[in-house]
Amino acid sequence: MDTSGKPRSLIDLQEGQSGIVLSLNGGRNLTKRLADLGMGPGTRITVLRTSLFSGPVQVEVTGSKLVLGRGLASKILVEPR
Amino acid sequence: MKDNKRISVVLAGQGNTGKTSIFNYYTGSHQHTGNWAGKTIEKLEGTLYYKDYTIDVLDLPGIYSLTTLSVEELIAREYIIKHKPDVVINIVDATNLERNLIFTLQLLELECPLIIALNMVDIAKKKGIEIDTGKLQEKFNAPVIPTIAKRGTGLTELMDKVIEVKENGHEPGMIRYGREIESCVDELSAELKNTGLLYSERWIAIKLLEKDSEITNTISQIRPELIRRKETLEKRLEEIHGHDSSLVISDERSHYAAQIVSETAIMRPHRKLSLSDRLDIITTHKFAGYLVMILIVGGMFLTVFKLGNWLSSVLETVFSSWHNWWIASVGETFLASLSWSAIEGVLALVEIALPYILPFYIILYILEEWGYIARISFLMDNLMHKIGIHGKGCISFIIGLGCNVPGCLSCRIMESRRERFLTAVLVTLVPCSAVSVIVFGLVGKYVGLIWAFGLYVFAMVIIFIAGKILSKLLPGEPVELIMPMPDYKKPHLKAILYQTWDALKEFIYIAAPIVIIAGVVIQAINLAGWMPAISRFMSPVTVNWLGLPAITGILLIFGILRKELILVMLAAYLGTTEFAEVLTPVQMITLAVVSMFYVPCIATVSVLWKEYGWKRALAVTLIEILFAILLAGLVYRLLSLFDL
Repeated sequence: MDTSGKPRSLIDLQEGQSGIVLSLNGGRNLTKRLADLGMGPGTRITVLRTSLFSGPVQVEVTGSKLVLGRGLASKILVEPR
Repeated sequence: MKDNKRISVVLAGQGNTGKTSIFNYYTGSHQHTGNWAGKTIEKLEGTLYYKDYTIDVLDLPGIYSLTTLSVEELIAREYIIKHKPDVVINIVDATNLERNLIFTLQLLELECPLIIALNMVDIAKKKGIEIDTGKLQEKFNAPVIPTIAKRGTGLTELMDKVIEVKENGHEPGMIRYGREIESCVDELSAELKNTGLLYSERWIAIKLLEKDSEITNTISQIRPELIRRKETLEKRLEEIHGHDSSLVISDERSHYAAQIVSETAIMRPHRKLSLSDRLDIITTHKFAGYLVMILIVGGMFLTVFKLGNWLSSVLETVFSSWHNWWIASVGETFLASLSWSAIEGVLALVEIALPYILPFYIILYILEEWGYIARISFLMDNLMHKIGIHGKGCISFIIGLGCNVPGCLSCRIMESRRERFLTAVLVTLVPCSAVSVIVFGLVGKYVGLIWAFGLYVFAMVIIFIAGKILSKLLPGEPVELIMPMPDYKKPHLKAILYQTWDALKEFIYIAAPIVIIAGVVIQAINLAGWMPAISRFMSPVTVNWLGLPAITGILLIFGILRKELILVMLAAYLGTTEFAEVLTPVQMITLAVVSMFYVPCIATVSVLWKEYGWKRALAVTLIEILFAILLAGLVYRLLSLFDL
């Protein structure tokens, strides 16, 4: 498993791996929605579950569990830590 | 004075915070539901009589922020500003404190009199979260009441606090953000005096810097010169923080919330995995998750159908004895038959609602209360995306398998109007329990179970294709799934019964009038002796194109009321349930295919009408009739080739 800190998309994290959000590139509305949920740049995010056939990912952020659609998750750039 | 004895209370909070439980606890039997003016979003209001006060409680839609990203959010903030409720109760999920407090901050920005109901403190405690409510109260300068809504704990204290705030008044707390942001907000709000808007200058300034589209539009119309100023200030913030100013504000709230959490709460997460986490190892697992889902959903349907078939046959015996009594004592005159058909409409509804829909809802709400429904959304999101909607749409499909009426109503959980409509149309294609009666009673019994199941697979393929096509046709972008994953919780009987009753009531209110009226009209046509003429009129379609006996024309008309009437009427016409005597296997399959797709039954059409307007309802109905006829004709021709 590659755990070096190179920035990558959230969907490239393995289950159980964490990262710091670097940027959200999903258009203003989505970005804003995520930020309102406490997922702005600098937030620590942990992938709990990935799913089959490029399905959604389940993450933990600010102590809450959230499910994010695959398309959305792919637009979140994180630095693995 | 009478007016002093009236208090308006608004419940505001994110989804899954127990807002609905609190609303039900307070307003119980004094609820009225309607829609927000011009919107297809439910408006829940109720009244509570407590300590000489008449307290009007309004349940705002569960939302995650007060930006204008969705209709619900717009409704919520406009309501608070325009109607200036005496108290806003912000329900905060103690187990997701940080995320919930971000929303609290947005409410405080509106400068409304706020009380925080810190809900689910029992579960929080179990999770090792300890919250210092006194400190929290201090931080927000707003009363904080710990509650356990499901058990009613703390809700009396909460209402006492509401009265106290109303009587003594309460200066809403003011939140101050970081220095750079505050200086921008101050500069901008200084120029926003006398806009004539109901919002405070500070709030407008924050929203402008946040690039809120609605507020920006409003200001650019009444104070176009300020837009330049706003953009300069935004640049300043962006230069300091290195990202978009809309995010700068959101981030500031998040940090503020995180700061408050760190100062007021102690988290001692247990080393041991919680029961919920252990369950999730299986229930959201890549492979095992699907297996569990099939078992649970399959088990649910098996239970409902076994129970339903038994109960409905019992009811049928009872009702038919009533019919005999009616004939014997009232007679078989034109009027007597007509009034019986009105009664029959009511009985027919009871015959669906009681044996099928009631148990179905109970099981569904057990799963929902438990937290499993969110897992289904997670597992199905991927597949649902292929037809232009996201995982939550799957719930409507599952409900639609029971009955299309609540299925269509449940589409309200989808975020955008496009998604709602798309999901509703697809739900009308889902074979409901009435269609299952035809599929299993006709095809399953006389052609073979494998063919009956084949028809279900066929329906799924059709829904998939229809979804593909519709999502291309309907303008707008598909919405991505963003859904909080609740922890598994012990289902609470009262909450389940409450929701079940609510859903059942809605089904009856919507379906009953239209089913009764349509029943009487069809019976009148029947008694007038026009049916043979109608079936002759329809014979080019039924006989020539579909290869069915002419009688099916009448059956299909009755089927508009309730689809299983197709089978019931056929049996009545034949005087036996030996359908094999009049229909060949190919004809049975053809009839089942028409029945599956040809018209969402009249009750479903009425929901579509109510939710999406008559034009769309009519269009969906006509298109589905044409589609079903075309499809069944092709099926008939294809199957005839193989000579079943």
